[in-house]
Amino acid sequence: MAVIAGRPKRGALLPKRVTAVTDSRLGSLGVFVIRRILWMIPVVFFVIVITFILMHNAAGSPWDKAGGRQLSQVVVDNLNKKYGLDKPVFEQFLLYLWNVLHFDFGLSYQYQGKSVVTLIGEGWPYTATIGTLAFLLIVPVGIGLGVLAALRQNTRVDYATMGFATLAASFPNFVIGALMVVLFSVLTYKWTGGNFFLPAGGWGIDDHLIMPVITLSLLPIAYTARLTRASTLETIRQDYIRTAWAKGLPERLVVIRHVLKNSLIPVVTTLGPTFAFLVTGSVIVETVFSIPGIGRAFVVAVTSRDYPMILGTTVLFSIVIATANLIVDVLYVFIDPRVRLT
Amino acid sequence: MALPVAAVEAAAIDWEIPEQQVGLWQDAWVRFRRNRLAVLGAGLVLFLVLVALLSPLLVHFGLLADPIKQHVESIETGPGVNGHVFGTDILGRDTLARLMIGSEVSLTVGLLVQGIIFPIGLAIGLAAGYFGGRVDNLLMRFTDIWYAFPDLLFVLVVVSVWRLTGPWYVQLIPIFGAIALVNWVGLARLVRGQVLSIKEKEFVEAARSSGTPPLKLILKHLLPNSLGPIIVTLTFGIPNAIFLEAVLSFLGVGIQPPQPTWGQMVLDGYEAIYANPSGVVFPALAIGFTLLAFSFIGDGLRDALDPRMRR
Amino acid sequence: MHLRVSIRAVTLAATGMFVVSACGGGGTTSQNLAAPDKQIINMNDGTEPNSYDPTQQTYTYEAAVGRNVFQTLLVSNAQGTDVVPAGAESYSVSSDGLTYTFKLRSGAKWSDGKAVTAADWVYGYKHLLNPALAAGYVDPFFDSTIKGADAYSSVDVSSASAIDTFLNGLGLAAPDPNTFVITLQHPAAFFKWVVTLWVAPPLRQDIVEQAAGGTFASNDTTKPEAWAQKSSTIIGNGPFMISEIVSKDHVTLVPNPNYWGGAPHFQKIVLWFIEDANTAYAKYQTGDLDAITVPLANVDVVRNDPKLSKEAKVYPKLTTFWMVTNTKKAPFDNADVRMAFAKSIDRDKLNKQVQHDIQQSILSFIPKGMAGYDTSNKAQSFDPAAAKALLQKAGVTADQLNKFKLLTRNTTRNKTINQFIIDQWNTNLGLNMQLDVIDSKTVTSRLRKGDFDLYGPDGWGADYPDQQDWFDIYISSPTLPCPHGFNWGCWSSPAYDALVSKADTELDQNARNKDYKAAQDMLINQAAVAFIFQDYEYNLIKPYIGGLTITASDDQSLPGDLFWHDAYVTQH
Repeated sequence: MAVIAGRPKRGALLPKRVTAVTDSRLGSLGVFVIRRILWMIPVVFFVIVITFILMHNAAGSPWDKAGGRQLSQVVVDNLNKKYGLDKPVFEQFLLYLWNVLHFDFGLSYQYQGKSVVTLIGEGWPYTATIGTLAFLLIVPVGIGLGVLAALRQNTRVDYATMGFATLAASFPNFVIGALMVVLFSVLTYKWTGGNFFLPAGGWGIDDHLIMPVITLSLLPIAYTARLTRASTLETIRQDYIRTAWAKGLPERLVVIRHVLKNSLIPVVTTLGPTFAFLVTGSVIVETVFSIPGIGRAFVVAVTSRDYPMILGTTVLFSIVIATANLIVDVLYVFIDPRVRLT
Repeated sequence: MALPVAAVEAAAIDWEIPEQQVGLWQDAWVRFRRNRLAVLGAGLVLFLVLVALLSPLLVHFGLLADPIKQHVESIETGPGVNGHVFGTDILGRDTLARLMIGSEVSLTVGLLVQGIIFPIGLAIGLAAGYFGGRVDNLLMRFTDIWYAFPDLLFVLVVVSVWRLTGPWYVQLIPIFGAIALVNWVGLARLVRGQVLSIKEKEFVEAARSSGTPPLKLILKHLLPNSLGPIIVTLTFGIPNAIFLEAVLSFLGVGIQPPQPTWGQMVLDGYEAIYANPSGVVFPALAIGFTLLAFSFIGDGLRDALDPRMRR
Repeated sequence: MHLRVSIRAVTLAATGMFVVSACGGGGTTSQNLAAPDKQIINMNDGTEPNSYDPTQQTYTYEAAVGRNVFQTLLVSNAQGTDVVPAGAESYSVSSDGLTYTFKLRSGAKWSDGKAVTAADWVYGYKHLLNPALAAGYVDPFFDSTIKGADAYSSVDVSSASAIDTFLNGLGLAAPDPNTFVITLQHPAAFFKWVVTLWVAPPLRQDIVEQAAGGTFASNDTTKPEAWAQKSSTIIGNGPFMISEIVSKDHVTLVPNPNYWGGAPHFQKIVLWFIEDANTAYAKYQTGDLDAITVPLANVDVVRNDPKLSKEAKVYPKLTTFWMVTNTKKAPFDNADVRMAFAKSIDRDKLNKQVQHDIQQSILSFIPKGMAGYDTSNKAQSFDPAAAKALLQKAGVTADQLNKFKLLTRNTTRNKTINQFIIDQWNTNLGLNMQLDVIDSKTVTSRLRKGDFDLYGPDGWGADYPDQQDWFDIYISSPTLPCPHGFNWGCWSSPAYDALVSKADTELDQNARNKDYKAAQDMLINQAAVAFIFQDYEYNLIKPYIGGLTITASDDQSLPGDLFWHDAYVTQH
C-alpha cells in the first residue's frame, strides 16, 4: 500500500499516514496504545461529571430509608454535614476530584467507616474469578458452536445450536440460576439422600463455582455462537474461500487458516465489552448464588444512593471497559492485517 | 461444500450484473420468499401481531379471561387448575390472558427499541469506521463514556424525571428512550468493526477508484456485507429490551401494574419458582418464541440480501 | 435479583407474650447435647450489618449481632411482660420517677478480661448521643427522656466544644465504678424499656481511642468508628464475640470466655448474608442453613410437605400495618371518607389468601402480644354497603376520587398487596383509581413533601412493648412538623395529644391503660389510618436445635437471637 503524504482527504478510503519515525508496525502500535491510555483520562473525567450530575438529580437522599423507620430530621442534617452533602454540589464535585487525585474515593454511606477502595478491593477478587472463568468458557464454546453451525448450515447441528441459543436468551439469568439450584442442589440432594449435590450458593474454589459460572456464560455463549455463525457465513462465501475449497483443501485447514481469522472481527468486538461486564460482576448471579463480590455493589449503590460507591464503581467500570475496547482495537490489527488504526 | 471450478468462476463475475438488471431489493424479496424458515418466521411474527391486536377484543367478548381480574382463591396455580389453561399468578390472575394481553407491551418494547437503536448505532458506527482518524477517535471515546456511566442510574433519573402517566403506550415513551439510549453502543462498535475490516478490501477499493460517491459506497457495498452480525445483534436485542423493561419495574420506573408485561411476569414468577415454576416458564417461552421468529426472519433477510448468494 | 422482602416498620427491641420453644429434647440434659465440635449453627442474617458498632445499628439484622456481642443494662424477659437485669444487677427508681440508679453486675467482664465499669457505661451512652456521629436509632434517648438530651437537635456538630458541653450536660453519672445513674427530665414509666434497646451498651474508651490512633475531638466523625472495622477490636460484654468478618459473606460468633453468665452451648454461630430468599430456602434443604424465613410464595409448599411442615414455626411479631390517606388533601380531611376507605377492604381475603394465611387481619392499632391489644372496637370492619353510604353522606363523587393514586414502594410484597387493595377500593366503592409504583427512595422523598394521595402499607413495629412507643407516633408537635416518618398522613387531634401526653408521664399503670385505650378508640373511630394486618413470622427451624426461646422481637430470620446463650444443638 502506497504511503500518501499530506492529510488524507475527508471521506477518502486511503490508508492512514505512517510516520517515518515509527515505521514498524509494532512501533506505531505502541504509540497507538499509549495515546489511547492517555485518552482514558478525559473519558473517566467526563464519566465522573455525568455521574455526579445524574446522582444529584436522582430523587431521594441516601438517608431516606427504603422502608420502615425513618431517621429523624436532626440525624439527617448531621449526616449530611458528616459527609459534606450540605455543601453546594459544585464544591462537592471539586472536592471529590481533588480527593480522587490522591486516590481517596471516599467512605461508603452504607457501611460506616469503610472506604470505597476497601469495599471494592474486598469484593473484586470473587467477581473477577467467576467472570474470568466464565469468559474462558464462553470463548471456545461460543466460537466453536458458531463456526460449526455455519459450516453445517441448515442441518440438525445448526438447528440445535439455534434452539439452544434461543432458550438461553429468553430465560433470564436469575431464572436459569434458580432452576439450576432447584435441580442440582435441592432435588439431587433429595434423590441421593444428601450424598451428592451441588452447593446452593456461597463461595468456594470448588464445586461452588460450577453453577454460577455456567449461569453467567449461557447468554454470552448463545450470542457469541449466533454472531460467529453469521460472520462465518459471510466469510465462507467470499471468493478466496471458494477458491480454496475448489482447490480441494481439507476443511479444517481452510477453517483455521482463513475462515476463522476473517470472521472474528465482530466476535472480538463484542467479546471485549462482554469481558468487561463479566469481570465487573453480574448482580443477578451474585445475588442468586450469594457470591460476596462487587456485582451487587453497582446496583445497591444506586438504589441506596450511596454516592461515593456509585462514583467508585463507575470509575472502576469505565477504566475496565476502556481497556477492554483498547485491547479489542489492538486485536483487530492482528486478526485482519489490513485494518488501519487511527 | 466444494464447488466445481466453473461455478466459482462464474460466481466471481456474477455479482455485477444482477445489480444492474434486477435490483437488489426485488431480488432479495424473491429469495426471502423461497427460504422456508424465513417464511415460517414471518408467519410466527404475524401470529404474534394478531394476538397482540386481537386479544383485547377477545377479552371484551368474553372469549378470553380478564387479565386483571384477581381470583384470590386460586393463587399461583399450575396449568389446568380451576379452568386456567396456563395457571394463575401471584394474585390469581389468568396467565394465558396476561400473556396474550402482555404481548402488546412486550412486542412494542422489543421492536421499537431496536427501531431506535438501529439508526443511531448504525450511523455512529458507519461514520466512525468510514471516516476514521479524528472522527473515529472522538466517536469511540464518546462511546466509551457512554458504555461506562451507570446505566441504572441513568435510566432511573431519565425515566423518573420524564415520567409520563396514562395508558401503557404513553408510559412507554420515556422507557423506550432510556433503554435505547443505553443500548446503542454495542451496535455502533460492531458496525465500526465491520466497516474497518471491509473498507480495505479489494472490491471496495475497486468501487472507490471507479468514482462511486461515499454514501452509495456505504449503502451498496459496506452495509450488505456486514449485515449478518448486525441482524443477530438486533434480534438478540429484542428479549434484552423486554427484560430491561422488567428491570426498570424492579427499579420502580417501569410500566405500572396491573398492565401485564412478559418481563414483569418473569420477575414476579421468579419469587414463586418453587411453588409454581410454570409462572416463570410460560412467559419465558413466549419471549423465546418471539426471539425464534425474529431469528428466522433475520437469517432469511441476511441470506436474501447477501449479494454473493446465488440460487 | 430480588432483594430484601421486608417492608416492616421497624426494628424491634421488644417481645411478645407468645413464647415458642423449639422442639428437640426437654432440658439441657447431657444425653441430648451434641458434642462441642458439633455445636455449630448456620443462620441467615439476610443483609450485612452497616456497622458493628451497636450504637450505630438501626435494623434488626444488625441488632442481632449487636445484642449478642454487647449487653445492655436490662433486657426483656422471654414473655415480653417486663424487664430483667442483665448488664445491671438491679436498679431502683427514685420516688419522683426522675432518677434511675443501676447497680452494675459484679464480675461482669469484657471479652478481653477487663472488668466492666460505670465509666464504660457513661462512655457508651455518650458515644450513642454524640450528634456528630448521627446514630440512626437515637430518638428514644433524646426525645423527652434523659435530662439534657432535648438539646440534641440544636447542637452545632462542627464545634467540638459545643458537643462536649452537650454531652457533659446529660443526666449520666458514675458516682462509683459499680453504679451508673441516669437522670430523666420528667417521669417516664416506660424508661426501663428504653435502656433495653441494643444501642445502649457500654463501650471501652481505651479500645476506641487506640483503634483511632489516639484521642480525637468530639466533632470527629470517622475516627470514632475505626474500632468497629476489625473483629479484633470489637470488644464487647455480651455472651458472644466476633471471631471473623468476611465482607458480604458472613460473620462468625464464638463464645465470650469472660461472660458473667457462663459459657453458652453453641461454640460457633455463623451468620450468613444471603439476600435472596429462594437461595436461603434451597440452602436450608441441603443442610447449609439451620433456620430460615420461608419466602411467602413457598408457604403452601412447606405446609403440604410432610417433612418440612413439621419443622415450621409461626409466631406473631409486634408489628401492625395500615393504609394511609393524606389528611391534608380533600376529601381525606373528612373522617367519613377515610372510614369508607377503611371499611371497603376485605382484609380476610387479603391475609388468608393473597398472603397465604400468614398475616392476620387486625382492626385496631396495638398488635396481639402486648398490653393494649383490644379487639372490641370493630368500627373499621369490612362492610362495602356501609362504606358506599359513608361516601354518599360525605357528598364525594367518583370523579373527585378517581384522580387519586395509591403510592406504592416497588417491592414485590407491596405491589401485590396494593394491587389487591386498589382492586378492592375500586370494586367496592365504584371507583377507578390507579397505582403509582415507584422506586422506594423516591417514595420516601415524596412522602416527606406530602406529595401523595394514598399510601401503604405503612406500619410500626414495637421498639419495646410499652404503649407509649406506639401512641406517640400520632402526637403532633411544633418541633416535629408534619409530614414526618411516623405519621405521613398527618392526622392529628388536640384531644388525642392531651390524652397521650398524660398517659406517657403517668406512673400508675391502670390509669395509663385506660387513657391509651381511649386514644386507640379515637384512632379507630376517626379512621386516622385504615388498619389491615399484623405481621407474623413463618420460619423453618431444624429439629436438632434445642432450647430456643423465640420472641416477637427476634430478627425475622434469626429465631431466638435474644436467648442464644441458652440454646444448643442436640445429637442427631
